Amino acid sequence: MPFGPIHPSLKEPEYFKLILEGERIVQVVPRIGYVHRGIERAAQERTWVKNIYLFERICGICSFAHSLGYTHAVENLTAFEVPKRAKYIRLIVAELERIHSHLLWLGLVGHWAGFDTLFMWVWKDRERVLDLEEAITGNRVHKSYSTIGGVRMDFPDGIAAKIKSDLEYIEKRVDYYETLVQSEETFSVRTKGVGRITQETARKLCPVGPLLRCTGIARDVRVEDPYAAYDEVPPRVQTSNDGDIASLLKIRLNEIRESSWMIKTAVERLPLGPYKVSVPRVVPQGESTFHVEAPRGELFYFVKSKGGSSPERVKVRSSTVANILTATEMLKGHTLADVPIVLTGMDPCFGCMDRISVVEAGKPKSWSISGEDLRKYGIEYYKGRKSR
Amino acid sequence: MSSDTVAELAARLGGSIVSHVKSVDLVVPPDKVLEACKTVASMPGFYHLSTITGLDLGEEIGILYQFWQGKSFLVVRTALPKTNPRIKSITESLPSAVLYEAEIQDLLGVAFEGNPYLGKKLLLPDKYPANAPPPLRKEADPDKIRKLLELD
Amino acid sequence: MTPWARKRSIWVFHINAASCNGCDIEILAALTPRYDAERLGVELVPSPRHADVLLVTGTVNSMMKDRLKAVYDQIPEPKHVVAIGACALGGGVYKECYNAGRGIDSVIPVDLYIPGCPPRPEAIIYGILKLVTGGPPDPVEVEKPVVQ
Repeated sequence: MPFGPIHPSLKEPEYFKLILEGERIVQVVPRIGYVHRGIERAAQERTWVKNIYLFERICGICSFAHSLGYTHAVENLTAFEVPKRAKYIRLIVAELERIHSHLLWLGLVGHWAGFDTLFMWVWKDRERVLDLEEAITGNRVHKSYSTIGGVRMDFPDGIAAKIKSDLEYIEKRVDYYETLVQSEETFSVRTKGVGRITQETARKLCPVGPLLRCTGIARDVRVEDPYAAYDEVPPRVQTSNDGDIASLLKIRLNEIRESSWMIKTAVERLPLGPYKVSVPRVVPQGESTFHVEAPRGELFYFVKSKGGSSPERVKVRSSTVANILTATEMLKGHTLADVPIVLTGMDPCFGCMDRISVVEAGKPKSWSISGEDLRKYGIEYYKGRKSR
Repeated sequence: MSSDTVAELAARLGGSIVSHVKSVDLVVPPDKVLEACKTVASMPGFYHLSTITGLDLGEEIGILYQFWQGKSFLVVRTALPKTNPRIKSITESLPSAVLYEAEIQDLLGVAFEGNPYLGKKLLLPDKYPANAPPPLRKEADPDKIRKLLELD
Repeated sequence: MTPWARKRSIWVFHINAASCNGCDIEILAALTPRYDAERLGVELVPSPRHADVLLVTGTVNSMMKDRLKAVYDQIPEPKHVVAIGACALGGGVYKECYNAGRGIDSVIPVDLYIPGCPPRPEAIIYGILKLVTGGPPDPVEVEKPVVQ
């Protein structure tokens, strides 16, 4: 076989089982138990506020989106209205998180395509966004910043000018990265026309976020169902019509620009007033459904209270799970060389890429391959094609 | 395209309507779920199946098919007896439901007939004992499960 | 620049054992120009067979337990294990969860623990240097964020 060392067969399931016919992938079977921890069950024994710390740690990259989804869902069961200032602050931090997540993704795409320089540059720029998050919330990753009733601390004074100048710097860098990814031939050959997904497939498989918008369907929870301050500072929904990885690049870079504008606007218009309202320890009985637009797409929370100090049930549907089927559909017809880039297109969690198994249709044997080996295979494959 | 309103659909299927904050439940018996979901999916406007949630209600297991309709959630809701929680899968008509049904199979022990993961695991380890209660059931004890999974 | 770094590099293999990715991205961030662990000789390698040090994040759920052991066994001696983050230390916020372990040291021996949720990249570098030198390293110069 032309790709990397074969790993010892460990008799356990893998994230993705790729079934090949010849060189082409014909079917993909996902199996996602690797990060399953049992969070929904544990939430039933923790208090409402303690659960914020639990749910934001479902994912280290869109941690604030998770805490927003959860706190909003719980707030809907109470009679309390979140103060306007808190709504604006939540928007600012959520959009900062979107920028950091998209930059993280851009760096990873560079890494998977063999451009580690791009990865280094982008992640260096990303640090500025993390500095802003830290200046506002006190932390870089798990900010525990949204609480039931508002935000945990007030927006700091004197930071508006730094936010503006850092975001202007990021915008300039995004312009540069955009010309880079479009002009570098080895990059564009791996992204243009790769992973094509149609609107018809999207309607059937219900993906969310940029993966949905790259087919031309202009849907965004912030616009359809505004929460926080999005009714007053709405984004312009970014779409593309080609349904390929190049479209996803375009959309995510545009979303960074859009988020930058929204943050600057929200900071300018930041209303005075309280940053939170006190909510009792016990949440009234009821069921609440809520969704937010996390960087990867619609993040869904369902909360059921039986009137106690702990929830009876919390159900979370993370954006990646909604996109897995579409991503596997995107892989069909491609070769192993395209697997890293296509899977990264849906912006999955790291662990998902770690373990992939390959089966040749009709043959009983399967090979295990690591994400790293696939990455190298992809780089070599495209180098070989270019030199022909 | 279906021109049924939710009320018409409820009347036709012998169901009822319950309102919550931000969502409307269309409660139907289990054998009417597939038809309800297909009708909702063909209502005017773009349908989006956000997810499917399972609930342990004590004697029954509730299944909520949560559709986002662009302005509010429409939830097709049913309940299965815990002693025999089986229901037809909707994946043939609504393929986006595959992973959501599979999760409920693993965590609540419901069988979705026709789902490709029936009899297989999506989230839980293969070695999860067949005679142990599924983890989200009320009778399941997280500490006992940890011991069974050798995590202590 | 610490003296030992001129003598040898530290090759690290990173494994995510059911982590939320928070620690993983801070480990990666430690290699990027702001913190630049690479100038100190720390390099990520793609295979455990090339590694000196194993970095583990996450709670080690039941699906990852055997894989973690298998990866540990593949690393040639002399080897060291660093548990990064509250989850790898003792289960972190998931210790009540039915499919989360309570620290990786019940699966493989650990040489160094770096607490945090997640630990900052500076802390990760500090920890790895401490492991290799056996004592507090020279101060690491890092560009600090400045807010007026």
